[in-house]
Amino acid sequence: MAGGPPKALPSTGPHSLRDMPHPLAGSSSEEAMGGDSTPSPDLLMARSFGDKDLILPNGGTPAGTSSPASSSSLLNRLQLDDDIDGETRDLFVTVDDPKKHVCTMETYITYRITTKSTRVEFDLPEYSVRRRYQDFDWLRNKLEESQPTHLIPPLPEKFVVKGVVDRFSEEFVETRRKALDKFLKRITDHPVLSFNEHFNVFLTAKDLNAYKKQGIALLTRVGESVKHVTGGYKLRSRPLEFAAIGDYLDTFALKLGTIDRIAQRIIKEEIEYLVELREYGPVYSTWSALEGELAEPLEGVSACIGNCSTALEELTDDVTEEFLPVLREYILYSDSMKSVLKKRDQVQAEYEAKLEAVALRKEDRPKVPADVEKCQDRMECFNADLKADMERWQSNKRHDFRQLLVGLADKNIQYYEKCLMAWESIIPLLQEKQETK
Amino acid sequence: MEQAAPDPDRQLQPAPVESLGGPGAVLEAAVGEETEGTREDSAGVHTMTGNDLWLKKIEISVSEAEKRTGRNAVNMQETYTAYLIETRSVERADGQSVLTDSLWRRYSEFELLRNYLLVYYPHVVVPPLPEKRAEFVWHKLSADNMDPDFVERRRIGLENFLLRVASHPVLCRDKIFYLFLTQEGNWKETVNETGFQLKADSRLKALNATFRVKNPDKRFTELKHYSDELQSVISHLLRVRARVADRLYGVYKVHGNYGRVFSEWSAIEKEMGDGLQSAGHHMDVYASSIDDILEDEEHYADQLKEYLFYAEALRAVCRKHELMQYDLETAAQDLASKKQQCEELATGTVRTFSLKGVTTKLFGQESAEQREARVKVLEEQINAGEQQLKSKNLEGREFVKNAWADIERFKEQKNRDLKEALISYAVMQISMCKKGIQVWTNAKECFSKM
Repeated sequence: MAGGPPKALPSTGPHSLRDMPHPLAGSSSEEAMGGDSTPSPDLLMARSFGDKDLILPNGGTPAGTSSPASSSSLLNRLQLDDDIDGETRDLFVTVDDPKKHVCTMETYITYRITTKSTRVEFDLPEYSVRRRYQDFDWLRNKLEESQPTHLIPPLPEKFVVKGVVDRFSEEFVETRRKALDKFLKRITDHPVLSFNEHFNVFLTAKDLNAYKKQGIALLTRVGESVKHVTGGYKLRSRPLEFAAIGDYLDTFALKLGTIDRIAQRIIKEEIEYLVELREYGPVYSTWSALEGELAEPLEGVSACIGNCSTALEELTDDVTEEFLPVLREYILYSDSMKSVLKKRDQVQAEYEAKLEAVALRKEDRPKVPADVEKCQDRMECFNADLKADMERWQSNKRHDFRQLLVGLADKNIQYYEKCLMAWESIIPLLQEKQETK
Repeated sequence: MEQAAPDPDRQLQPAPVESLGGPGAVLEAAVGEETEGTREDSAGVHTMTGNDLWLKKIEISVSEAEKRTGRNAVNMQETYTAYLIETRSVERADGQSVLTDSLWRRYSEFELLRNYLLVYYPHVVVPPLPEKRAEFVWHKLSADNMDPDFVERRRIGLENFLLRVASHPVLCRDKIFYLFLTQEGNWKETVNETGFQLKADSRLKALNATFRVKNPDKRFTELKHYSDELQSVISHLLRVRARVADRLYGVYKVHGNYGRVFSEWSAIEKEMGDGLQSAGHHMDVYASSIDDILEDEEHYADQLKEYLFYAEALRAVCRKHELMQYDLETAAQDLASKKQQCEELATGTVRTFSLKGVTTKLFGQESAEQREARVKVLEEQINAGEQQLKSKNLEGREFVKNAWADIERFKEQKNRDLKEALISYAVMQISMCKKGIQVWTNAKECFSKM
């Protein structure tokens, strides 16, 4: 689990996060960055380590120019790095050990979050904290606020209908735990999100509630500005690729919804089949009691049907616990991605509107005013982030669904293998000749 | 054809030797009586006998079914199905079979044959016919008698019935059965002329005997309970099995929806598309595989049904025993009371209450001659009664012996057949599991290539 340190990690020693200058505090204005172009937010984040040395895995120094064009290529380099296996990984997070807490006001479950990292942002190489669902929900909201240009992974559903689902049943808790683990792992794998301050605090703070109350809005500049983009701007034309993404997500979510319904229907039919099987098997037993020579064969058939029933029950439980939740997770994911796309549209619309306003003013200005440039930057950063995240998402999705569907096939194969074994084992019993009647 | 005395029962003597009769379906004859010609035993049963007849194997098949229309008894148009029965004799020497007879029969004629056999062979567990109407159907199966699948299964059932009769050591020799296979026209009249309907025991009589019999053979009482329970458990089994089939059908068919949605989904995917599409195809294969699987299972259900109906045949034999036993007990009781009456008359004592006793008291004793006359009559009746009792006793014992022999034979057959049925059911399940593994393995491969 211990990853080797990335090659270019400077030996600046561990720094407490609070000691480091906030990347966007005062000095990180445009001017401090050396002038006429706005660095990408990711670049800024990267700069927050230690002595302004930029940590670039390939040992390079940050590009002098920080125009949006190069920032996206920078992003690409960072992204590429994440595709390499665990050797260069420097952050590992696990969710396990659910425990029930009974208090006067409420009862709830906490999960242990174990973090192992060699990153500078972490004071200690290892952390272990306990968090409850509320905390995850808080984290996700914070991420959405602070990283609005990125796709934030979904959480398992918040609300469960009491009485229908037992919130404290082993199966429910385990399903949730897996989903929460997935959530954190997805963030861990993200080159930008994994460096998010809120994420760090979530993983490390002893008292998360105190931190929550601080209400420090650690927003990136882009984040802040995006947050304040008001609606009402009409989008002239959506770039083809984003339109395509939107269409894709629509159909994708639709198809997943259909698959979810089909899977549920299959489970329902299987349960009804199971009910009948549970009545069917014992009748052979009843018959066996009437017979002499046929008693053993009939009893054997009864036991066999019983085994098949058990195997079927295991199948339906497995599919319910492992297949359905992942489908639903991806539906939620698509929904949140759609809203990010909308935000992107808004940013583009604002930019276009401002640009148009400038053009209409017919002033003979040699250069574009600063605020229009800011808008353009914002838009282009957003587009770059989103594109990169979409590609990552597509590749993860492919991997996840391959795993999911192979898993579904496996479960069904196992079910049939169990039944096959049961029936094959009674053939000799049925064929055997009995000496005495 | 030999013409016998004008005894209507003997009218149909068979042509000697070369003709058919005897054990069928490539089974050798068990035993044979070795006298020539036809004989009619005390019960009026028509058997075929003949030395060499038993050594010939015959094959019987119900090879076709055909829809016909005709006019029924009340001159109304009706549609019915006729079945072609073909009989072949297998010459031992060269093993080739020669078609010897072929005729068409409808279900009602089979029923007539069976009813006749029930009357004339009450000690035999008479093989049952396939069901008249489709019962224990699960929803996809039609309950319509004209449905081709039902007709096909009935054809098989009727063939099975004929084979069972032909391989029964006693029933196979029956003349009417032989004619059923060989004489198309006029057979109905022939059967009816045996007057078997008149000889049948009335239902009421049988019921009465069941309640009132005092000392039936314990084995028959147990057998009756067994057949009741067997009937109940097999009915239950068939009902639940039908529901199980229904549900299983649902499970498989819903998977077909995966095929469609995977196909639609694959249209928007780049690298995942092919894998999804081909996996979807396997889901379609899976969904459609259930039809054949369940059709095969119907055969198993039919095997169970045969024994469900056999339970009724067992009960019929028990009923006959109870009837005979009751008859015997009644006759014995009758005899005993007559003897007592006689004694009373002879000694002049009136021990039992009787009308005679009352009238004697009222009107005075009868004369000595009158008394003697009555004693004489009674003595004659007692004699006759004793003879009758003796023969009834003998009959009863013969019946018990023969019936029990057939019941033992039946038990062996039942155990063999049902074991075979269970094995074939297990084999069906194994095949279904293997198909399932195959399909999902194929789908898994497609998924892993996504």
